[in-house]
Amino acid sequence: MNILFDFPEFFKINLGQHVENFEKWLIHNYDFFFDAIKEGVLWFLLQARSVFMWIPWFAVIIIVFILGWKLINIKSGVTFAGLLFIIGAMGLWDEMMLTLAVVLVAVVIACLIGVPLGILVAYNSRLGALVKPVLDAMQTMPSFVYLIPAIMLFGLGSVPAVFATVIYATPPAIRLTNLAIKGVSKEMVEAGHAFGSTTWQILTKIELPQAFPTIMMGINQTTMMAMSMVVISSMIGAKGLGLNVLQAINRINIAMGFEAGISIVFLAITIDRITQGIANKYKYPK
Amino acid sequence: MKYKILLMVTIFLFSLTLTSAAKDKIVFADPGWDSARFHNGIAQTIIEEGYGYPTEVIAGSTAATFLGLIEGDIDVYMEVWTANLGDTYYDPINKGEIIEVTVNFNDNAEGIYVPTYVIKGDSKRGIEALAPDLKNVVDLKKYWEVFKDEEEPSKGRVYGAIPGWRVDEILRLKMKTWGLDETYNYFSPGSDSALAAVIVGAYEKGEPIAAYHWEPTWVMGMLDMTLLGDEPYSKEKWTEENGYACEWAAMDITIAVNKDFPERAPEIVEFLKNYHTTSAMANSALAYMMENDCETMDASIWFLKTREDVWVKWVPEDIAQKVKEAIK
Repeated sequence: MNILFDFPEFFKINLGQHVENFEKWLIHNYDFFFDAIKEGVLWFLLQARSVFMWIPWFAVIIIVFILGWKLINIKSGVTFAGLLFIIGAMGLWDEMMLTLAVVLVAVVIACLIGVPLGILVAYNSRLGALVKPVLDAMQTMPSFVYLIPAIMLFGLGSVPAVFATVIYATPPAIRLTNLAIKGVSKEMVEAGHAFGSTTWQILTKIELPQAFPTIMMGINQTTMMAMSMVVISSMIGAKGLGLNVLQAINRINIAMGFEAGISIVFLAITIDRITQGIANKYKYPK
Repeated sequence: MKYKILLMVTIFLFSLTLTSAAKDKIVFADPGWDSARFHNGIAQTIIEEGYGYPTEVIAGSTAATFLGLIEGDIDVYMEVWTANLGDTYYDPINKGEIIEVTVNFNDNAEGIYVPTYVIKGDSKRGIEALAPDLKNVVDLKKYWEVFKDEEEPSKGRVYGAIPGWRVDEILRLKMKTWGLDETYNYFSPGSDSALAAVIVGAYEKGEPIAAYHWEPTWVMGMLDMTLLGDEPYSKEKWTEENGYACEWAAMDITIAVNKDFPERAPEIVEFLKNYHTTSAMANSALAYMMENDCETMDASIWFLKTREDVWVKWVPEDIAQKVKEAIK
């Protein structure tokens, strides 16, 4: 009877154990490879951080105001500047800048990987079938499952934080780039062929300009995903707003949690509207 | 269609009331670490087999489960690290929202640990002793280059406590008292699993690391780590004004219950009052668990089987007999 209701022991596989052994093997044999990645990401991050910490606060607010004004309208510019001002007024300016540094580095890396891969996938449907389940895994695998091995490889700090963010935030860049390239009208591409353009010319002169707004939407989504990883990043040692949220949660401190949390929301709204503004600005006339 | 759903919901709710009609379920907290799960397992087995109450465990972060205890969603918290929680623990006690039943154990240790190979080297693994004269925490000063912070290479890095824990604030002050703040960054590890992972990762690679940790934990049971020395504990030195200028006193790890619990199950509270263990017991049980690759519940049963001398006197004789029968 039990054979009907209990899954037979006979089929037991130790999948996880093999993954763990593989990870140990990586630590012992390919330490130098991960150290090199770590060095690279760390260098980039430290540069970004020092630039962000170097810009005076009012300059940031003015830049954001101008971006909002030029890209959308003056009302938006004032709103964004106001939102950032409130974050500063809550005493969270430095934390915001540290958060921005991690998010920016992660988004740049995610786009460097995501956009070319998206183009490749658009050109090669077999590759697409292969990449799709991987993207699903990247977005649904609970972060700590791959973060614990990542910590063992990269140590604690901003590097595994960037790593986690990149994993979670790359899929929309790939998906929307793929969609954008595929969405370019066939007639345009055919016209290009008729005039004797090479594949490279078609890609850079016809497809990419037309696909740009959608790709920008992908980058926008990537940025928002990256913002949503801020707290998880802090659980593995990234400094910034996430750390304040974490402290507040652990102390059941509602006031502090709200301030840090709403700052993340303000920052996300500002980034979202500005990147969307860029996407709309360059919309190709139909 | 609508009626069908309504019917199903009614049946579901009805079955819920049916199951709870028997003895009330006793809910334990799983705040996420193994020694707490180990104690849960012991208490659950004794309560289920001996007293006939069904039990349940709710897992979550320390803060979330503790809030559950205050609100009454959780009945029993087997391992409260009192000094780490600070006011989060003492406020609800003073307000009478939770009740401290007993001290579970108080022979634990905490502080700054380094892998022993950093001091003594490990010829088998080919690791040189990078800091041979490291004995006390203050000795870290001259070895800051050994523990270099990659994100800020002009300083060393000490991995601190979990943000939001009381000990995090204490450690930040202690860094100044030790005079380590000039040569070291105090690094916030974010979560206890991340802290454990970075220690194990460094250990696997044979790299130096200086990190806050505590015992009993499986990390300390599994790795050969050395607790760095500090001034002997005295009440005068352990104040905020004096910058906590001495080692940690062993902390009381208590068992706490929700304020309504004693009314519901007085005999269980009676049993919990007698509950007393040591760190060594938890360490050996957790090591048993790691060695045999089994669950914390197996470690609890193993403890009940091998250490009858300890637990039998916690409960009346007939209850002990029932438990013994059940785990045979």
